[in-house]
Amino acid sequence: MGAGSGEVFAAAGIHTTFLARTRDKAEQGRARAEKLAKATAIAKLIDVGTYDADFDAAVGEADLVFEAVAEDMELKKQYMARIDKVRQPGSVVATVSSGLSIAGIVADCSEDLRKHFLGLHLFNPPNVIVGCELVPHAGTDPDVIAATDELLRARLGRQVVRTADTPAFAGNRVGFKLLNEVAQLAEEYGVGYIDALIGPHTGRAMSPLVTIDFVGWDVHKAIVDNLYANTADEAHDCLKLPAYMDELISAGHLGNKTPDKGGFFCGGSVLNPSTRGYAVAETPVPELAQKMRAAHRIGRYNDAIELMVETASPDAALMRKVVLGYVSYALGRVGEVVERAADVDRIMAFGFNWAPAGLLADMIGPRRCVALLDKTNLAVPPVLTEAAEKGERLWDEPDVDAGRFFFGS
Amino acid sequence: MTKPIYILGGFQTDFARNWSKEGKHITAMMREAVRGAMQRTQVEPADIDVGHVGNFAAELYTMQGHLGAFLLEADPGLSGLPTARHEAACASGSIALLAASAEIEAGRYDCALVLGVEQMKTVSAAIGGEYLGTAAWYEREAKGVEFPFPKLFGKLGDEYDRRYGLKDEHLARISAINYANAKRNQRAQTRTWYMSEDHASCESKYNQVIGGRIKVTDCSQVTDGAVAVFLASETFAKTWAKRTGKRLEDVARLRGWGHRTAPIAFADKIAESADQPYVLPHTRRAITDALQRAGITDVWQLDGIETHDCFTTSEYMAIDHFGLTEPGASWRAIEDGVIDFGGKLPINPSGGLIGAGHPVGATGVRQLLDAARQVTDSAGSYQVEGARKFATLNIGGSGTTSCVFVVGRD
Repeated sequence: MGAGSGEVFAAAGIHTTFLARTRDKAEQGRARAEKLAKATAIAKLIDVGTYDADFDAAVGEADLVFEAVAEDMELKKQYMARIDKVRQPGSVVATVSSGLSIAGIVADCSEDLRKHFLGLHLFNPPNVIVGCELVPHAGTDPDVIAATDELLRARLGRQVVRTADTPAFAGNRVGFKLLNEVAQLAEEYGVGYIDALIGPHTGRAMSPLVTIDFVGWDVHKAIVDNLYANTADEAHDCLKLPAYMDELISAGHLGNKTPDKGGFFCGGSVLNPSTRGYAVAETPVPELAQKMRAAHRIGRYNDAIELMVETASPDAALMRKVVLGYVSYALGRVGEVVERAADVDRIMAFGFNWAPAGLLADMIGPRRCVALLDKTNLAVPPVLTEAAEKGERLWDEPDVDAGRFFFGS
Repeated sequence: MTKPIYILGGFQTDFARNWSKEGKHITAMMREAVRGAMQRTQVEPADIDVGHVGNFAAELYTMQGHLGAFLLEADPGLSGLPTARHEAACASGSIALLAASAEIEAGRYDCALVLGVEQMKTVSAAIGGEYLGTAAWYEREAKGVEFPFPKLFGKLGDEYDRRYGLKDEHLARISAINYANAKRNQRAQTRTWYMSEDHASCESKYNQVIGGRIKVTDCSQVTDGAVAVFLASETFAKTWAKRTGKRLEDVARLRGWGHRTAPIAFADKIAESADQPYVLPHTRRAITDALQRAGITDVWQLDGIETHDCFTTSEYMAIDHFGLTEPGASWRAIEDGVIDFGGKLPINPSGGLIGAGHPVGATGVRQLLDAARQVTDSAGSYQVEGARKFATLNIGGSGTTSCVFVVGRD
């Protein structure tokens, strides 16, 4: 993540220094940045150095210090103390944490650092995914928030969403809730079936379990464990890591990063969560999924959503439970994690490449969506009730093609 | 123009999308563009009298022909609409516009839907390069040649070099400007890509030579995209303006057009122009025809140009052919910052084919829509301040078919 984030700054023409434990590591980061930018010329903007030899000078000169050490509170605190000693007053300090308490990281730091500190959650790979979360803590100076927001938008081309300093912020809270719920359902319904049912036709570039394999089971565990321990919302049970995943993680199954052991998928084989074993299995794509894909293929996105809403079958009921559960949970975070529905929708669109909850609610019709949530025993978010009452739409991004979120075959 | 032609507006799909990865048939792209245009302009299916599609090679890229018929898939209310598809390589979109505007001028129809479309990411770059070769004289210029078009437009640069001298640093600057402009355009394919003049100037493993003097950064993109616009007669435009609360004089108008064809083989073009000041005299003629028809006596009356930068050399050619400099001195307009976004006569504020993307059959329609948006102060983040007159140049083949439009408002 460090090199990827650094590339985003250098690509904007900002002189950047990559610091790492060793010079080799920093050089590797610079090479990675060249590869991401597909340009050797970017290296001219990137200096490299080590934590031992170059930290004080580089941090001392910087207008913005971007800390991207491992996701560990104690480690981050140690580095923050070092930064605090040598940074110039007034410089902005950001952490790339995807879930730790932003205020907690700088709890022991100077007043000036705390005022100039905020969380900056970029999504991988940041040179492609432009969504980012800007997470001030209670003590961040409003001018620092505004200036960083402007830098991210105007120079770095980011789509910025401001969120509260709550566990996993908005994107990962909402996204990993759905991913984990599908992982839970895999135990009952099978990996192949549930992943095909909640596949790209439901409004995501990658199906849920393929996504968990892609991000890594260890990362998934860290995020949902943090959420399960530190939140208490209406979907709390969906955040509990399935026991089979916990066991397999201990045995070294981390998804794509451990290709020999795999995750939900391993080569041509599929995990059976009950036996913890893998077998070659051809899972037929559920008929409802096939029909929705066919509708998306010819651009009839509303027809596909109608199929999900109106079909009377166990497949459709299960799909509604998960997809409407996502709509309910995402819009339910308004007022807690984000200010407006547009914020959580924007981070799901620009950070996850998922159909935003507000867009799905609009396609269903806000009033009809309220009734469906009720019928499915899902919480009805006040923001949805309000849209239904006023007859307003929730998703309003004229520069974004809604069709890009729906995948055919 | 014998009768006024109004441009009511339209819609461009996001050129960064990969419709094959989305699992989409070409009809999905056409449908999104048509529905987007209807929504933005409030033109209803019942208002539309005729539909024209510009497309280069859907039969090759998608195994689908007869694209005119696919316009009807956008809305049941379009059933029965007379439609046609037009092909002139990368100028296909402009040819569709010419056909639609001619019909309106002839008084045959009052409201025409014109859609340009190309889905290109269905095949590898090498196979796509082979398909594009059919826009040249395939057997003589493209068969068995890897990436024939970069090589042909490399030769255009070589011809400039031979006649007048040409420095690659000026081509690199053209590339960097287009990429920089694309960053302002939220529908441009390369809006998130890294680019700098430094990178465009140097040959490296990430910026290899594709053919002759043409490197990767000198090339336009392989793009999936569709653009739909509505053209209308004065009769329809008046009703429409009233209905949508606009003043007729604030609606963009097609002020002039130019359309010329040169011999298809590049060597024949160069042989023909050997003793002439302009390297592509038929392109020059298409430009002067359009300016003359629009009543423009001096190119500086234009506020901007959307030109066909399929390669940096084609934009280099456009600069002197439009008359921004004397023949062979395009470099001066580049060095003086004339063509920059904030320059005296900005070229490609959208990012052009290099930055915004080049879905071949859609490009001419995209250029016209961008020009119409510019002159109506609705180009958003890439608005050229106060623009009232814009020109487009769309080229098919190696400078073979040249189409020019002048767009303005009162």
